[in-house]
Amino acid sequence: MERQEIIDGLVEVLRTVRTVDPAKLENVTEETDFLTDMNTPSTELINIAAKVEQKFNVEFEDEDIDELGSKVKDIVDLIIKAKERENS
Amino acid sequence: MSVAGRKVAVVGMGGAFPDCADINVFNQKIFSGQSLIREWPKAAERDKQIRSKVSGFINDNDLGIQPIYLVDGYEWPETFVDTSGRIPDVNMSTADLGCVWAMMGTLDSIEMAGWTTEETQSEKTGVVIASGGGGNVIMRNAWHAFFELGKKSRHAGSHMVDRAMSYREAANVSCLIKNRGVCESIVSACATGLGNIGYAYRLIKFGLQDRAVAGGVEGTSLETFIGFDAMQVLSKGFSPAESSRPFDVKRNGFVCSFGAGIVALEEYEMAKARGANILAVIDEYFNNSDGDGDMFYPSYGGQRRLWKGLSAEAVIKPDVVKVHGTATPVGDILELISVVDTLGESGYHVSAPKSQFGHMLGAAGSVEFITALLMLKNQQVPGCINSENLNPELENFQKKEGWEGSMKPAAAYRDLIPQQTISKEINQIVCLNYGFGGTNSAMAISRDN
Repeated sequence: MERQEIIDGLVEVLRTVRTVDPAKLENVTEETDFLTDMNTPSTELINIAAKVEQKFNVEFEDEDIDELGSKVKDIVDLIIKAKERENS
Repeated sequence: MSVAGRKVAVVGMGGAFPDCADINVFNQKIFSGQSLIREWPKAAERDKQIRSKVSGFINDNDLGIQPIYLVDGYEWPETFVDTSGRIPDVNMSTADLGCVWAMMGTLDSIEMAGWTTEETQSEKTGVVIASGGGGNVIMRNAWHAFFELGKKSRHAGSHMVDRAMSYREAANVSCLIKNRGVCESIVSACATGLGNIGYAYRLIKFGLQDRAVAGGVEGTSLETFIGFDAMQVLSKGFSPAESSRPFDVKRNGFVCSFGAGIVALEEYEMAKARGANILAVIDEYFNNSDGDGDMFYPSYGGQRRLWKGLSAEAVIKPDVVKVHGTATPVGDILELISVVDTLGESGYHVSAPKSQFGHMLGAAGSVEFITALLMLKNQQVPGCINSENLNPELENFQKKEGWEGSMKPAAAYRDLIPQQTISKEINQIVCLNYGFGGTNSAMAISRDN
């Protein structure tokens, strides 16, 4: 799965998170920060992680979630890592 | 205890009503004798799993609310959006459907009351709202993900707690309006709606608050519905509009319905001083318990003591008695007789609004309270539809040894129960509601003179 493909899917997920301002989803890059750029409430991050698991049909380890950064690239890395783990 | 000279006014109302776009449509339908009860597709599609198929229900996407699903075809909405833009998304994200209605009813109530932002956000403004049931829809979704699908706890949703906790309606409303006073829920089964208004009345009467948003809610929930269906206490065998038939000899159960009723209360002199439109003055509130040790069976003694308590320090001479009147076989006539034995056989009318919209459980007391406010405003009593024939024979409980009440059959009191809307001078109304556990509540309201 290409990184941009993952970002596109991630943006789709974020559109269902109503506390994220839709206007902030226009130019999402790997460096976009959920907390500082999108003003996402911190309570919403775990919801986003759970939605991403459903969307990409993967399961994250609790430790991965605990250490998860707040940038888009952190989630992309995590999805790739989880996919690789499942395929190995 | 109550502070001498302190009175409480009702200055605003709002809510969510089945098959009604807003409170104006509700008013029009109720006083023109229409039923708000329909066949409920969600129940009907369960076919033989469910006995009763009718309800006064409100869909997820009614009232300008848009449910948001993560995956198409998924049964449970992730969250809701207010398409009218009155409730910010961040508040919607912590709300189940009932909370959304509570917030909408609150905004309408405050707008009608005309409170300033400063007044609303004061330390002297409280929020007292509850529902009868738990957050059953949210919990089923959460438990399904965890127990059935074996998902991690985060798939129960990080908003499971705030969307399902017992006082979610009060919490959501308080976060929306940012009041700084009391925020609590009073839960007493089907007396919840009136109980919350009664508690808020006391907060103001006792000098603890100057204002309060209060009421009861019951969000549409098949999970809630099947609990009552399992007890075989729901109406069965009639067309939807004919299903709720308080006092009628053929009644065979109540119609399980959903909705929300919210009112704005304010200390009377403050409301008067700022020129508020006073919908009613609360004369008195009283509540008690049966003391019979019976979870379900209504109590003649408990209801008689309820009236006695209500009358202890207030002049109670109602033109209308808004009864609980659910259309269960025993409850209606026992309640009717407790009213008659207290007030006599004439000089007032009995109103049973559940005949038109069913039993809204935790919202029943507050939506019926709003119906009473509309009676005061319109100077009309809506008819008890479907109360076609009253039993000419004595009820079984009247034949039991030790029965102390009236020995006349229900049919003897036909004149008290209008079948069509009537106009008359209405100065005072008494509202009655009861709940499982033997809890009873009564409130008297009057026109402002």
